This record gives sequence, structure tokens and C-alpha cells, in this order.
Amino acid sequence: MIYLDYSATTPVNDEVLDSYIKVTKEYIGNTHSLHKLGVASKKLYDEATKQIADLFNIMQNEVVYTSGATEANNMAIVGYAMANHKRGNHIIVSMLEHPSIYKMCEYLETLGFRISYVKNLENGTIDIDDLRNLITEETILVSVCAVNSEVGVRQPLKAIRQVIKKENMNTIFHSDMTQAIGKCNVSLHDVDMATMSGHKIYGPKGIGMLYLNSKIRINPILQGSTKFDEIRPGTVPLPLVVSFSKALRIALTNIDKKESYVKKLNDRIINHFKKYDNILINNTEYSIPFIINISVPNIKSETLVHALEAKDIYISTNTACSSTDLSTSVLAIYGDKKRAVSTLRISLSYLTTSDEVSKFLECFDEEYKKLSELS
Amino acid sequence: MRKVIIIKYGELTTKKGNINLFINTLNKNIQTYLADYAYEEKHDAGRMFIIPNESAFDEVLTILKSIFGIHEFNLGYETTSKELEDIAADLLPLLKEKAFNTFKVLTKRSDKSYPINSMEVSRKMGGYILKNIDNVTVDVNNPDVEVNIEIRKDYTYFYFDKINGAKGYPVGVAGKGLLMLSGGIDSPVAGYLAIKRGVKLEAIYFESPPHTSDLAKDKVMKLATKLANYNNTYVKVHVINFTPIQEAILKNIPHDYLITIMRRMMYRISKRIALMENCKIIVNGESIGQVASQTLNSMNVINHVVDIPVIRPVACLDKLEIIEIAKKINTYDTSILPYIDCCTIFVPEHPVINPTLEKCAEYEALIPYEDLIKEAIKTKEVVKVSTVNKNTNSLL
Repeated sequence: MIYLDYSATTPVNDEVLDSYIKVTKEYIGNTHSLHKLGVASKKLYDEATKQIADLFNIMQNEVVYTSGATEANNMAIVGYAMANHKRGNHIIVSMLEHPSIYKMCEYLETLGFRISYVKNLENGTIDIDDLRNLITEETILVSVCAVNSEVGVRQPLKAIRQVIKKENMNTIFHSDMTQAIGKCNVSLHDVDMATMSGHKIYGPKGIGMLYLNSKIRINPILQGSTKFDEIRPGTVPLPLVVSFSKALRIALTNIDKKESYVKKLNDRIINHFKKYDNILINNTEYSIPFIINISVPNIKSETLVHALEAKDIYISTNTACSSTDLSTSVLAIYGDKKRAVSTLRISLSYLTTSDEVSKFLECFDEEYKKLSELS
Repeated sequence: MRKVIIIKYGELTTKKGNINLFINTLNKNIQTYLADYAYEEKHDAGRMFIIPNESAFDEVLTILKSIFGIHEFNLGYETTSKELEDIAADLLPLLKEKAFNTFKVLTKRSDKSYPINSMEVSRKMGGYILKNIDNVTVDVNNPDVEVNIEIRKDYTYFYFDKINGAKGYPVGVAGKGLLMLSGGIDSPVAGYLAIKRGVKLEAIYFESPPHTSDLAKDKVMKLATKLANYNNTYVKVHVINFTPIQEAILKNIPHDYLITIMRRMMYRISKRIALMENCKIIVNGESIGQVASQTLNSMNVINHVVDIPVIRPVACLDKLEIIEIAKKINTYDTSILPYIDCCTIFVPEHPVINPTLEKCAEYEALIPYEDLIKEAIKTKEVVKVSTVNKNTNSLL
């Protein structure tokens, strides 16, 4: 099997899975229990959280575990809007967000919030001037993802933060970092809230996290909280928390090395695609090397995905979350609908081998040729 | 030219005959703290030079700031050349980065074979600076920047910045002490202050299961971890099962004397552990007048059962002063966690504030405390609490 869909999800790291199993079997106590089984669980929970806090140089009470990125984004955007609607009703998001963000925005619009979509430049980064103009006294929140999931464009978060805070000190900056963690260096001090997910970093599915600056108040999405879990009630899923913490630690090790390794693979693939006149490369100079996005206007991209699947090679059309529609990111960057409906995403990992790339390119050539002849 | 950390010993240099003991202890302590880092270490007349790897420079500096026995640091630069022109060429660009109007140059020449004397070096360097940096003047009394040059045997050093060290004495140089560690605010602060004066600490903690929980014990271990940061990376904690003694007191002794007798038992046990562990003193967090057992009368009656010094570093501090230190050393947030410990489970409504030795003797005769104490010491548990620097949990 050649798996090249790492941006959709990743296989669990063996060491991480090992922790998951051990904690499941050996730490049966509820972290809220008074007895020693509970104390042992609580202690492990605290250690896991402390490790995360230390990795990002934040405080332990700024780590909020969620079921995944979608829930964390809900907390950050809906939860923040609900708690702060008296301060203003304006929210700004980019046009390169995960599709679920737009659904949340639609929901907030029905409640009377006003949503603005900040433009981006041709290279995919946010149009800083447009952002500056959009921010008003009423703007309570700006959300821009650190790395776009389809084209891999990396946003200059520090610069964006500076503009936001200069225009309105009280505007909060949230960033969905799901695709960035473990692939490029990010600083949580550039933002006020950040979203992360376990299954994109070789951790288990079913856990994510919201970094919530301790000065920020949000409304919980789930009701039923106690003094132990004000923001996210429920029994702590300790095996998930511990294995997520471990996955993060591993993901944040040697990022530069992983990045330069993947860059070499990326160069090979991009150079290969450049030989085709009909293939358009959608990445910009701000894309991270882990995500390759191309358009194949002359054939149906979905067919190509299935043709490669028959050879045990796995890539995706745009994102796993909206495979039937067009790529909103490609449309946002290039404004070309035809280009946006025919995208293919090949996402790499430091686990990807050179042989896998060779095999993929070889099979791609074959299938592409076959399908082109049909069109 | 390379960046170095220059360590100054401060008060240690007043120790004359014992100075080597002090400096060797400090060196050993620094090596313990920096065990995980690659660095070069050099010594020369009254100075120690630490040259960490560039990538870990800031981390090493942060660690050094918490090591007792270091009076002051300088972030300096080391060059091999002794030619003033060369030194100036290295020094001027770095000095230009600083915003200042006035300066003075101070030179030390420990290499007396160097042909120019210190005053002359300072004067010449001052000249270079005036010539190359605009709008600055010399002010020998209150300069914005002090340019220090030290000409030593093999190298020349220069530096502008001074950073305060943790001061105090190197841990261990004074010998060992046993800290009576509870989960409260005062005892960790007392421990910290004792460590600062060079006392290497072990700790004793009294637990009373099932009256006290593992959470309370865990909290004390967390506090011990914080102290370990100062105590040469670890603290040995002696955990005493106090339940049989406490229950015997509760059943047999008039309740106004509960706390007095309980403290006397704790002191007796502490003294014996101290002797076993070669600790010369007991350290605790008592503060005059804070609670009934800390009136002078109570302290007198309680202290009577031991014949080794009991040092009470926070005895004369106000609660708010103690809290301020607790916050500084990061123990406060842990100390205020609401778990019951063995000093707070059975608090009589009206504890005696003027106990007498006669009454204590009369009441203590009612319980076989000698046997109970021996049993408690026999069944003690020893936990070595280390700084959590090293990730020992394989699950994470």
C-alpha cells in the first residue's frame, strides 16, 4: 500500500498506540475519584497536560481537550461569539478555512452575527490591507488557519496578529492549526486560541485540543459542567489524552529535519507534474512541502483517485471532508471554477519513502495516460 | 570571539581558608544541574566561565539563575587577542547595539605581564568608543553602560551586562537538614530559605491514612519537586505513617492538648530520622504567633523534646511576606489546594495556647508512645523526588 493522504488522517504511531493500550488497561480510575486509582489517573493526566503546556510554553489550564478539531473550532468560534456578543457582533474569517468553519459562520449569521470573509493574495496569504479595513470596533474575533488543508498555504500568523491588535486591541485571534502541527514551527503566542487534532499527528482519532488563553472567556458547547471541567464537561478520556500528549511530543521533535526531507520528495513530484502541459500546480510559494495540490482539467479527478486506488495507492480529490464539491481554497486563490473542481491532493509524510514516490509517479503516468485518451 | 557566561562568587570570596570547599561544591552543583547539556567549563582567579552550546545558551542561563552560591553573572565575550585594536573591533559593533548616552570603561588586568596597566587600557578603549560611536560621553559616576574588560592569562574578556544570581551559599556546603514538610504555605518557603543558606535538605512528611488521602500526599510530593529545583535536583522524602500515634492521642488525651502532644511526637520522630540521616538540624515552617501551637509558650513546650537545633526560617515573617516568597518559588498554587493533612484533621475547638511541660508529661504517660514511635520509624517509606526535567514516564 502506498498511502499519500496524510493530510486526511495519519496512521497511529506504534509508541503512541502502546501508551493508549497501557493506559486503557492499567489506569482504570476516573480522574475525579478520591481513591488511589483516581489519584493515579489524575496524576498521569496532569503530567500529560504539563508536557503539552511545556511543549508550547503555555499554562496547563490553557489546554482544553476536545473530541477533535471540529469541536475545538466550535468552542473557539461559536463558544467565543456566544460569550462575547455584548462586545460586538462582527467576526472575520479567511476564505481558506476548513469547510466546517463556514457552517459555523452560517449558524452564527442566523443568530444575528455579521461575518466577513477576508480576501487573500494570489499567493494564498491573507490580504493584510483588506483585513485592516474589515476590522471595526464591533469585531470580536478573527479566525485564520495556520496552514490551509487543501493547498497547504502557510499564513504569517505573527503579522496577522499585529494588524489585528493594532486595529482593535480587544479583537481575539483564533487559528486552526490542525494542518500545521508537526509540519512547521508555530508559536501559540502568536494567537489567543488555537485548534489541534490528534489524528493528523499520528495520534488517535477522537481527541483534539483547544489552546485557550487564560484571559479569554468562552461559553461551553456542552452543558453539564462542574468545577473540575468548566469548559468541557465529561469524564476525562485518559488513554486519549496521554497518547495525544505523546503524539504531540513526537510530532514536535525534529520538525526542521522532517520538513527538509519531505521537501526533497515534494520537489521530485512537482518537477514531474510540471512536465505535463495539462496539469496545473495549485501550490504557491507559501505552501508547505507536505501538501501537493494539482488540477487535472481534462479528466475527472475522482476517477483518477479510484484508478490509483485499484493499484493500492491512496490520494484524495480536494479534502476528505468535502470530496464531492469543488475545492474552496483553489477557487479562493485562483478564482477559476474549472480548476477548482478538478483538484487532486497528494499529501506526504516523513514516513513516505523515495520508492513510494517513484511507484506513485509511475502509476500516475500510466493511469493519467489511459484516462486522457478517453476524454 | 565567542559568547561566555562569567560567574562571580560574591560572598563566597570572604571565606578565606574554606573558599575551595565553597567553590568546589558550587562547581559540583553546577555540573549536576547541567548534566543534560554540553558545555565547556573554565576557572581562573575568582571567576568561573561556562561556555554552553549556542543553541542551549538561554536554557543554561535560566538554570544557572536558580543555583545558589552564584552572586552575579556577566554575559561576556571571549577573545584570544590581546591587541587593543582587535578587542575594540570585536567590542564596538556589540556596544553600538545598545542605546546609551554615557559610559565608562573598567579594566582588570589579572595578567600582570601585560605591558599596559589597567588605567591606560580603560583610557585607550574609552578613546576608541568616543571616536566610533556618536553622541556619547564618559561619566565615571553614573554611566548608562559599564564596559568591562578583563585581561587574563590566555584570553581577554569583555562584557556590559550584569545579571543577578540566586546568591546564597552552594547547596550542601552547610551540611544536611531535615525539613518538616506539610502541605501548607509556610514549610516549603522555610525549606527554600534554608537551602539558600547552603543546607542540603531531606524532608519528613506525616500522613494519617485513611484520615488523609493520597491526594494530600501527592500534593506534598509536588511541593518537594519544586524544592528539588533548588536542592541539587532531588529531595529525599521520609513518609511517616502517623495514624496509630494520632489515633492513640485522640482516644486518650484531653482535646485541648491534642495539637501540642501531636507536635511533640512529630518532633521526636523528626529528631530520630535526622540523626539516622546525618542531618544536623531540623527545619520547619513555624511562624511566631500564627496558630495556637506557635505561641512562644507552645514552641517552648514542643521544642523541649529535642536536643538538636530547630531552625525556623519564617519565624519572624508576616504571612503576606511568606506568601510572596511562596509565589516566587512557585509553591503557592500547590499549597493552597484544599486537601486535608494530618495537622488539620483533628483540630480541637479550643487548643491550649499556654501548655505546660507538667501537663504534657502527665498526658503522654497515658499512651505507649515510645513503642508507637519506633513502629512508625520502622515502617517509614522513602521517596526520592526529582525535578521533572527528565521525562521518566514512558507513557508520555
